[in-house]
Amino acid sequence: MKLIAKKDVAAVVGTWSKTYSVLSPCMHASGDCVFDSFDAETFTLEYRKPPMPPKSSFLPQNETMFSVENGTFTPVIHHEKTLLFGIRACDLMGILQARSFYSRDMDDVYHRSHAEDTLIVVHACSWPQNETCFCTTVHSGPYAHEGFDIQLFDMGTDFLAEAGSDAGRAMIATEPFRDFDVEDAAERLSRVKHMAHNSIPIVSEVAEAMDILKGTGTNEGVWEHLGRKCITCGGCVYVCPTCTCFNVVDRVTADASGERMRTWDTCLYAGFTREASGHNPRSSQASRLRRRHEHKLLHYSQTDNRGALCGCVGCGRCSDYCPVHIGTLEVVKAIAEHIY
Amino acid sequence: MGEHAQNIYTLRPVTISRTLPQIADHRLFQLRLDNGCSWDEFGHQPGQFIEASIFGKGEAPISISSPPTRCDTLEICVRRAGKLTNALFEMGKGSRLHIRGPYGRGFPVDKLKGHKLLLVAGGLGLAPLRSLLLYVLDRRKEFDELILMYGTNNPDNVLFKYELLSFFDRDDIKYLYSVDRDDAGIWKQYVGVVTGLFDRTSLSPADTYAVLCGPPVMYRFVVDRLLKLGFAKDHIYMSLERMMKCGVGKCGHCAIGDKYCCTDGPVFNLTEVEHIKEAI
Ligand SMILES: Cc1cc2nc3c(=O)[nH]c(=O)nc-3n(C[C@H](O)[C@H](O)[C@H](O)COP(=O)(O)OP(=O)(O)OC[C@H]3O[C@@H](n4cnc5c(N)ncnc54)[C@H](O)[C@@H]3O)c2cc1C
Ligand code: SF4
Ligand code: SF4
Ligand code: SF4
Ligand code: FES
Repeated sequence: MKLIAKKDVAAVVGTWSKTYSVLSPCMHASGDCVFDSFDAETFTLEYRKPPMPPKSSFLPQNETMFSVENGTFTPVIHHEKTLLFGIRACDLMGILQARSFYSRDMDDVYHRSHAEDTLIVVHACSWPQNETCFCTTVHSGPYAHEGFDIQLFDMGTDFLAEAGSDAGRAMIATEPFRDFDVEDAAERLSRVKHMAHNSIPIVSEVAEAMDILKGTGTNEGVWEHLGRKCITCGGCVYVCPTCTCFNVVDRVTADASGERMRTWDTCLYAGFTREASGHNPRSSQASRLRRRHEHKLLHYSQTDNRGALCGCVGCGRCSDYCPVHIGTLEVVKAIAEHIY
Repeated sequence: MGEHAQNIYTLRPVTISRTLPQIADHRLFQLRLDNGCSWDEFGHQPGQFIEASIFGKGEAPISISSPPTRCDTLEICVRRAGKLTNALFEMGKGSRLHIRGPYGRGFPVDKLKGHKLLLVAGGLGLAPLRSLLLYVLDRRKEFDELILMYGTNNPDNVLFKYELLSFFDRDDIKYLYSVDRDDAGIWKQYVGVVTGLFDRTSLSPADTYAVLCGPPVMYRFVVDRLLKLGFAKDHIYMSLERMMKCGVGKCGHCAIGDKYCCTDGPVFNLTEVEHIKEAI
């Protein structure tokens, strides 16, 4: 294990940014902190939960799959050495789940190439970033167990740096990283982890709702009620680290030339399942909301979970941003408490 | 090579070698590979589908209508429905398009071997089912009794008419055709919904596999009938149609419950999907 003084971090990330395209927390003048290209001026360690998960580094909102010239398709596979600095453990779990999903049976080369090109530095949470965090409930945080290159733990004026890969080990081998060679290093780390873990409340309704959904208990009322409220903005899906659905569209620039691309899509839109005949097997907003939440809480794949409880990694963003309060937290409470 | 070969979305160019009008807005397209390559290496199985692709018009999942026992050509039977299919109808012999595939889990041919088969098709459902029908006819000895039931809404909408007529000369296939309505009074066979055909033949549910392809409403009625007759749930197979984009289990459009119709299906048996609310 290594230590690095917090005051030295910006310089180190600056060095990394010479080799990698670094995405790191930036404090904008507006006071919002977003993940953006490293910039020494706006770089900050004083950030909480970034509004967007790092999903777009692996599944860009719009991604060219083929460039097309006179009807000939040429695959466009992006290669850019990228470093994600400071992502949260829940978001890493989101990345891992998506990677499992995209690689099962047949590997998606676009997603894979982003994953192969990306180094990940996790900033473990010492406390909940806001009132909607529930990573401990779904076993995705507050710190990561696998999948990172480096993980940083807040130790006051220092970060404790843990390497999770050979690349990570090499990156923290030299100055300003220094050895953490006190006798009780392991104990101190486990104390930090323990305190962080205990600071984040367990949302017991998640497991209760999952049980109810598994059983035959009816919860039609929940979906009917929430379906009437949902304004179909798609926001909950776009901010979700584990939503991976996409549409495929052709952007024509000249006759038989242009790009075939994929764009984010969501099961909450009626057009998502509407067939050319007009028939729509998921024809109400209630049934579509049910699909989204059942995908997370019931129809997730055990093997794609990567050790988490379900297909929701507990980031709380859907509860943060849904304009009419239909986040996973509200949904599991409605189901568990038979509110509707 | 490398990446290119492993890209599951890779398209291959094909040429339309022939178009055969079927009924209004339905056309059969014969496709050929470049350099006269046989479709053998495509490795398709009855019940699988391709994604047909025309740049600017998108892609659409289309069932392979010809069996792997006839690899000189690949046939698709297309209904004019929207962007891509309209564009396809503008194309004639010699036109080029792209395809990906073959995709999906087709009919369980190996399981069906040695058994009696009841094939039930409704409307365009005959397009995918034909790949199995012709496969069985080409390897007739490997299967037991074969019954085909085919229902369309009226006598003008019978697909593959001449092929079906040719079965009248064969005694190794029993065929029962129905039309929902026959306003002109020209239909010599059964008039009524396809389930009515069940009263006109005797089946032995214990050693018969039923394979269904048609609109969702047909599934509900036919499945009900088969269960009443004593068919086991895992002896009832059907092909489910869903909106599809990728065809390879990634885009999410075709997901129902924990299944992806494009990779876990499109062919399922009743045991696999009966617990899924939206399946049929
Ligand atoms: C497994 C499978 C096999 C099929 N086999 C055949 C066949 O043999 N012959 C035939 O004529 N049709 C078949 N269809 C239906 C056919 O895919 C649609 O009619 C076609 O996608 C319409 O595309 P479009 O661009 O012309 O219509 P648009 O309305 O412009 O559709 C735009 C896009 O939406 C999607 N889409 C729309 N309707 C459907 C649908 N019903 N199913 C799946 N995706 C859809 C496609 O991605 C399509 O390109 C099959 C569908 C599936 C799922
Ligand atoms: S469902 Fe909501 S809380 Fe769960 S991972 Fe997605 S955005 Fe986060
Ligand atoms: S919840 Fe909906 S949009 Fe999200 S991954 Fe599942 S099906 Fe796709
Ligand atoms: S964010 Fe809320 S309103 Fe928007 S689609 Fe999701 S559930 Fe509906
Ligand atoms: S069509 Fe994309 S997941 Fe099935």
